[in-house]
Amino acid sequence: MEQILANGIYLGAQYAMIALGLTLIFALMNVLNFAHGQMYVLGGFVTYTFYGQLGWPFVIALLASCITLAVLGALIERFLFAPVIRRSSREESTMLLAAGLAFLFDAIILLVFGEKQRGVPKIVDGVFNWDFKLIMPYDRILICILAILSIVTFILFMQYSKTGRALRALAQDRTAAQLMGVNVSRYSMIGFALGAMLAGLVGGLLVTITGVNLGMGGPTSIKAFMMVMIGGAGVISGAIAGGIILGFMEAIGLAVLSQYGDITYLLIFVSLMIFLAIRPQGLMGKPWG
Amino acid sequence: MKRRNLMKSSAALALAVSVLGSAAWAENPVLKIGFVGVTSGPAAAWGISNQRSMEARADWINESGGYKIGDTTYDIEIVSFDDQKDPKRAIAGMEKMAQEGIHYVVGPNVDDGAAAVRPVAEAQGIMYFPYAFPKELYSAPASNAVLGMVANYQSGPAIYKYLRDEKGVKTVAFVAANESDPLSQRDGGIAAANALGLEVVSDNVTYQVDTTDFTPVLTPVMRTQPDLLVLSGVSPANAPQLIRSARELGFQGVISTETAQDATVLREGAGDLANGFISVGGASTPEIASDDMKEFVKRYTDMFGEYNDESNTKVYALEYILATLNANPAGIEDVNAFQTTMDTFEAPNPFMKGDAKMRYVGTTSFGQKRQIAVPLVVNVYQDGVFETLFVAEVD
Amino acid sequence: MIQWAGVAVFLLAIFIAIPGFVAASGRSDLYYTLTSVALLSIASAGVWLTFYIGRINIGQGAFALIGAYVSAILVTKAGISFWLSLPLAGLFAAGVAVLIGLPILRLRGVYFAMISLVLTQVVTLTALALPITNGAKGITSIPLPGGVSIFGLTLIPDFATLENPRLAFYYAASVLMVLTFAAMYRLVNSRLGHLCRSMQQNEELASSIGVNISYIRVIVFSISSFLGGIGGAMFGSIAQSVYPSSFQVADSVNFMLNCFLGGLGYVFGPMLGTLVLYFGWDLLFELGRFQLLAYSSLLIILMLFLPNGLLSLRLPGKKGADK
Repeated sequence: MEQILANGIYLGAQYAMIALGLTLIFALMNVLNFAHGQMYVLGGFVTYTFYGQLGWPFVIALLASCITLAVLGALIERFLFAPVIRRSSREESTMLLAAGLAFLFDAIILLVFGEKQRGVPKIVDGVFNWDFKLIMPYDRILICILAILSIVTFILFMQYSKTGRALRALAQDRTAAQLMGVNVSRYSMIGFALGAMLAGLVGGLLVTITGVNLGMGGPTSIKAFMMVMIGGAGVISGAIAGGIILGFMEAIGLAVLSQYGDITYLLIFVSLMIFLAIRPQGLMGKPWG
Repeated sequence: MKRRNLMKSSAALALAVSVLGSAAWAENPVLKIGFVGVTSGPAAAWGISNQRSMEARADWINESGGYKIGDTTYDIEIVSFDDQKDPKRAIAGMEKMAQEGIHYVVGPNVDDGAAAVRPVAEAQGIMYFPYAFPKELYSAPASNAVLGMVANYQSGPAIYKYLRDEKGVKTVAFVAANESDPLSQRDGGIAAANALGLEVVSDNVTYQVDTTDFTPVLTPVMRTQPDLLVLSGVSPANAPQLIRSARELGFQGVISTETAQDATVLREGAGDLANGFISVGGASTPEIASDDMKEFVKRYTDMFGEYNDESNTKVYALEYILATLNANPAGIEDVNAFQTTMDTFEAPNPFMKGDAKMRYVGTTSFGQKRQIAVPLVVNVYQDGVFETLFVAEVD
Repeated sequence: MIQWAGVAVFLLAIFIAIPGFVAASGRSDLYYTLTSVALLSIASAGVWLTFYIGRINIGQGAFALIGAYVSAILVTKAGISFWLSLPLAGLFAAGVAVLIGLPILRLRGVYFAMISLVLTQVVTLTALALPITNGAKGITSIPLPGGVSIFGLTLIPDFATLENPRLAFYYAASVLMVLTFAAMYRLVNSRLGHLCRSMQQNEELASSIGVNISYIRVIVFSISSFLGGIGGAMFGSIAQSVYPSSFQVADSVNFMLNCFLGGLGYVFGPMLGTLVLYFGWDLLFELGRFQLLAYSSLLIILMLFLPNGLLSLRLPGKKGADK
């Protein structure tokens, strides 16, 4: 029981962080960023290069991941998404762009970092073992704490800073925000950069535990989509709730249903579909229309 | 046709470059060998080591003047097709090979692709060398597929028997990814373990390939306290994480798999925790690698920056194709001649020390000789490198 | 009049000119490639139809996989003719679509998109878990389609006896594609089509003027899935094997991209989009390891300059000249 709880918290914290960036971008621009998982992988590879290959301190490498992705996010918004949104007659057209970006990142990652699974030295050694009731390696505990800290920082930032307030205004009502004097195009770019940065940050954090490989991008995007759906698209508290719920569903499902083998994920998917059929806007989302 | 022109011009360019590069080279006719497999996207790792092995070997052959088959010396050209791990694309790839007049193709890498290309290969007269294990691909009436490596239902029993006799292993647990290939391999492993009188204590735990945390997956398996944990059909990306999670959960027994792994990946991903991990490899461990094998590894590394230990098994398919054609040059245009030669073919194995032989096997498993005899080299990982545990033969 | 001429030219091209060209140039690998394009565009047409009622459908892979399995099971286990199993596969997929569609079609926007994406995974995982689909081992060695004859008159020859079954598959797929797009064209210009367009713009408004929107949604979604099932079943028959991974999330995404690329406002968009995306990848074959890089860059550039799809190039003034 203790083990399930701990696994759930650990999974939930990392999932919530992935979902946060995705939901932020969605809330600001109504863009479903198919390339989010690839951004996460890219963040992992940057940390791998600086920390694993060049031997720089982990914190610096993590910062490098954040900066790289933030810059990349800003550029992508300015030169790709913004023009397409302006010219396209349907909002969904950005999906093709996002999917194209996902392919592009896959190609670049393969060319630059290769096809192999990569890993970095552990940041902390040792395993916390409470009488075999609860086993958790120290590095996981540390990453879990760092993830929770980042989430809290992000919430505080969105709540109290000027940029955060502007972003929230933009997410709530684009036109109203513009009328109130918010520079929409500037804050769209900042928001996209922030979302991408979160992806890079979590990629950098998790590379110390799971390592990173080219194939992780697509499935990560899909998982992030699911979390966002559970909580309600475009709602920050919803993304956090969605991440934690999915984390616990996995932890509990794998523990309880292990003897049936193949059905844990099937059940998770099916229950998600039933849940959304009953509550189409997710836990905390605004109803459509 | 634009594509045609592009091809012609690029071929002309390549020819011009090679002529300028070394005027001493005779103009050899070109023998094309195909590769159909996945070299981009999430599963790129499966095919890339394969493709690179072939390219490195072909380069080496061409540099040393070509490969002599019958009275003619050929330059070898590798034509690669990326099927994106999509069986529908794999069929298109095989069609493309037929169009290029290619009769010998390495790949595809997975079960569904290998099954999907069978109609095309048999209709178009193409021998193909998949890395997929379903027995019906190789048993009659199927005729054109040759298993390019050792199947898990062949290596599994050997490993389990060794561990039972030498390490006193009595109970075994299986974990597999929830995908066709690993699940089939798990079922084969369970059958092999039962046949050897081992007790299977856990056989139905699976995971999604995109799992980032294996602790919850492995916790129920660890409760059953097996002596041996088998990671059926594990991909090189998942292996270090699974090992790490199992060890961190306090697992003391042996961990093994029947697929090929890469030592660098294990070192980076699991460090010392991977010590003692048993996997199946080719012939690059220092104890058995011949000078040719060392040369191959060196050339591969020079060409692509980093060697991949999975290539130890993947270097063989091309070598078999060429050596068999050499034994019967009629095979170049006629795969029936190739198939006849397969029954009697024997040649020295250039990649292994001693008097190891290259020949076709598989009579026990498939009822006909439709498998290349790769030495079954069982490795154990120790401090960043593989050491040979034992070498066996498949028949 | 001009339209009919266009249709005639199109039909001549696919049934006479292309086989003639292939025979003349010896590029017989084109048969399979074009068969693929035809089948994929049938499935994409289904996705396009769901776009038409304002739903982003990333779940067509699920129905293609269902269709492939139904046909494979009927042919191998029940021993019925492939040509009978083909419509049955489509109908089964449509039936599943009705059951699933009733609850999930109430969702809109990204919610529907995501749930349809999850649907693809659900079907893959179900295929892995069920005994009738033979689980991870898939269904292999499916016989080629047999012959059909009425009163001794051979309508369709037995594919196994043909010298070139690829040509037969090409014709079969092309006929299916022509029928599909003819039906689509008819549907879009029918009363149902008008209702769909009104729903696409505003469901509440459509509902308030007495349109039974939930009924129309389910009908359209099941037609869409029927097309997916047909496409999948044909593929299973060409590959003579079906695996849980025969159609995956990537396929679902590609079906959607085909529609986007061709243009969502044009009935023939999915056909053109499929052709361009499929051949785009093939043409870049020469680039080797830079293939994906070039492909994705081109995709992004296309989107930058033609965000409303390829067919949006056809400016109003040129319309007559094109047809």
